Amino acid sequence: MTLQTKRTIIAVLAFIFLLSLLLVQRLEVARRYQEAGLAKHPVAVPAASKSCVDCHNQGTPGIVDHWKGSRHAEAGVGCADCHQAEVKDADAFNHYGKVIATVVTPKDCSRCHGEVTAEFEGSHHAAAGNILASLDNFLAETVEGARLPFNPHSPTPGKTVDAVNGSASAFSGCQQCHGSKVALLGSDGGRITVDDLQPDENGQPTNLDAVARIVKDDNGRPRFHPGTWPNTGIGRLNLDGSRGSCSACHSRHDFSPRRARQPENCGKCHLGPDHPQKEIYEESKHGVAYRDLRDQMNLDSKSWILGKDYTAAPTCATCHLSGNLRNGGRITHDPGRRISWTNRPPISLVMDTDINGHIVTATDPAERQGLITDTADAKRTRMKEVCSHCHTPDYVNAFYKQYDDLVILYNEKFAKPGKAIIGALRAEGLITPTEFDEEIEWSWFYLWHHEGRRARHGAAMMAPDYTHWHGMYEVAERFYMELIPLAREAVEKGRKNGQAAGAARAERVIDEILARPEHAWFEEGASEQMAAIRKSMQERYGQGEPKP
Amino acid sequence: MGLTGWVQERLPISGEQLRELTNEPVPNHLKRWWFALGGTPAYLFVVQVVTGILLALYYQPAPETAYESVAYITNQAAYGWLLRGLHRWGATFMVAAVILHQMRVYFTGAYRKPREINWMVGMTLLLSTLMLGFTGYCLVYEQLSYWGAAVGANIAGSVPVVGDFLKEILLGGDGYNPRTLPRFYVLHAAVLPTLLTLLVAIHIAIIRVQGVTELHFEDEHKDEPQHFNFFPDHLYSELMIGLLMMIVLTALACIAPATLGPKADPLTTPEVIKPEWFFYVAFRWLKLFSGTVAVVSTGFIVFTMFAWPFIDAWIRRKTRYQEASVWIGIFAVLTIIALTVWEAVVAH
Repeated sequence: MTLQTKRTIIAVLAFIFLLSLLLVQRLEVARRYQEAGLAKHPVAVPAASKSCVDCHNQGTPGIVDHWKGSRHAEAGVGCADCHQAEVKDADAFNHYGKVIATVVTPKDCSRCHGEVTAEFEGSHHAAAGNILASLDNFLAETVEGARLPFNPHSPTPGKTVDAVNGSASAFSGCQQCHGSKVALLGSDGGRITVDDLQPDENGQPTNLDAVARIVKDDNGRPRFHPGTWPNTGIGRLNLDGSRGSCSACHSRHDFSPRRARQPENCGKCHLGPDHPQKEIYEESKHGVAYRDLRDQMNLDSKSWILGKDYTAAPTCATCHLSGNLRNGGRITHDPGRRISWTNRPPISLVMDTDINGHIVTATDPAERQGLITDTADAKRTRMKEVCSHCHTPDYVNAFYKQYDDLVILYNEKFAKPGKAIIGALRAEGLITPTEFDEEIEWSWFYLWHHEGRRARHGAAMMAPDYTHWHGMYEVAERFYMELIPLAREAVEKGRKNGQAAGAARAERVIDEILARPEHAWFEEGASEQMAAIRKSMQERYGQGEPKP
Repeated sequence: MGLTGWVQERLPISGEQLRELTNEPVPNHLKRWWFALGGTPAYLFVVQVVTGILLALYYQPAPETAYESVAYITNQAAYGWLLRGLHRWGATFMVAAVILHQMRVYFTGAYRKPREINWMVGMTLLLSTLMLGFTGYCLVYEQLSYWGAAVGANIAGSVPVVGDFLKEILLGGDGYNPRTLPRFYVLHAAVLPTLLTLLVAIHIAIIRVQGVTELHFEDEHKDEPQHFNFFPDHLYSELMIGLLMMIVLTALACIAPATLGPKADPLTTPEVIKPEWFFYVAFRWLKLFSGTVAVVSTGFIVFTMFAWPFIDAWIRRKTRYQEASVWIGIFAVLTIIALTVWEAVVAH
């Protein structure tokens, strides 16, 4: 063999080697970028989901692209894994040879995320569907809408309207956050829900009569009641008996942890006049820091432990759900585990909970001790673990003192008296048992449901403007300028209508409340205090009259 | 007495002697730059030493501090990211240059008598370079480097008879422990570079003693001089290759800087564990066979490579296959490339 030939062999082999080195380095660099979180992992579509991806790439490319960017795709979890169903499932149908279901419920997610689902099911989030039988529901279905469809009273040009759906506000409003009772259309024109299907522990219906009544389209696909699906309300009542919707927070189909970590995610529901948590957060120093330091939040990180992966600012998830260094990085899917007051009801309650996660309302200390399995103090300690990453114990304890004091002030000065007055008027028949048919009921609702919550939530999350101007100020105005005059008006009206005894009893309740020291200023006046204020202003600013 | 006289009195080396020392005539084939690859690993070794010293100013070899110090180098220290990138790509280039150099030596039969010892010195240099790569990879203390070290130690542990001893020597205990990282660091930054320096000196000394293997191509004119000067002619070629290397290294360090994966977590095994690319071939080989078979066969292959000058001589003496080494070499190179690419393209 000549030297020339050997030279050619060396050249060819060296070329192949360098070429392979180029390929290997390209793959190696890509792998390292993925490992460092600087690039997405390549997506290998699982064989069972390949046909789904191929077809939906044409029909609904958005959901395919979202899925491709998900951790599910990285881990080889495809369409068929989440949407798989048993033939016996109420909403199952054959879709190009695969038995699937449209709605993915927490029961489906629990196939892989069992512990997380169990934790979620014990949360107040999972019980958000309880609103379907509450005062708010009466408001949406009766006051805002109507219990039954009714005829339109005049034509809508360009649109044929046969009947007005009285539940529209509940469907598009309340239930999109709280969750709908998912229903299939029945052949008798009614709805078939979890109540009719009576699912067993596997989520499969036991009432076959109800199953037989399910209306299906030409492709054999069960038809959903359009008011109840689509719906990603967090307390959705699913056909398989499970409660909730994981996609309420983990938006499908990318299930992005990044998104779930951001306050905007919670802001779909936790905002507005009655519980403006997101606006409160934005006003707080926490929210201000987040806006400024968002780039340092490491939101894309696989692990997102406060104190380890980020410290720049807390988001809703940080305080209520995510792991932190102090708790060993343990995430919770029950935000109630770190909340020590519930400010949802008219009167705030201490979050001592029983074995079912319900608040213990018993007043006898011994009875309470027997029932409580998780104390409000324990919950507060868990929250303090979060706070302690940035604040000293003295700071945190002093904050909680301020918060407790505000809640107790609201409870004692306005909530308990307001509830007592409304209760007395109703007990004496001075107002009707029907909610929202009298002005005082609206006033009372505004006081606790809107303004009272704003004040309490504002104090809970350090938003002074919400605590005061949007909160306690409006609570006070509502109480003194509306509730009390309207209550006295109802008493007078009762007296005129021959309910003198009842009116007198109700009046005693009002008088007794207003005679308390904290309310005495309202009817007795506070001239001495006003004089002192004027004098002080004169000394400080040289003017004695408050601004008009 | 001038300065020159003062120095000459203490270092009695004349200019003539210096010229003789550096002006080794080298064969004409070295004018072709691709035959000048022998100096490239040495040049890259210097790059690694310089960047390594600068990195060592910040690196702290303990489980609690290693990852953070690498993160500091990458994200905060002035030009730290560039130094890490140069060091990381320098390692890749050094291994590639050693392999290319060895391929050239092998296919041209430059290992044959009387150069068998230098071939074995070269093989030791190759293994030392690979060990430098392995220990360097382990120092980062990210998930893959931690688990790469654990896998490497387990492989060492599966060597028959002395496996447990080797593993303990490597890790400083039964398993990865707080003493492991300093051990890797000492190997990487002191023991192996010293060994490499000594071996390079021996390698060059033997070349000087024996002279460079002379290769004569058919297109050469017989009446032209058969040699040219090492200094400065050949050194210029080496310097040009060195400068080109520096440009490519710097470009790569900028385009694909060294990244930092998640910190090592002894409790969480990563879904995919991969060593550095130059171990892909061994890693794939290990996956193809059971542990001990793979380790023993790898040991046998390495032994064969060491002893190849003698095996080749025996084949040439005893058989009519005078160019068997070329065909075996082609097969070996293609197998190594195939196994490396195979390991690179698959996740597991």
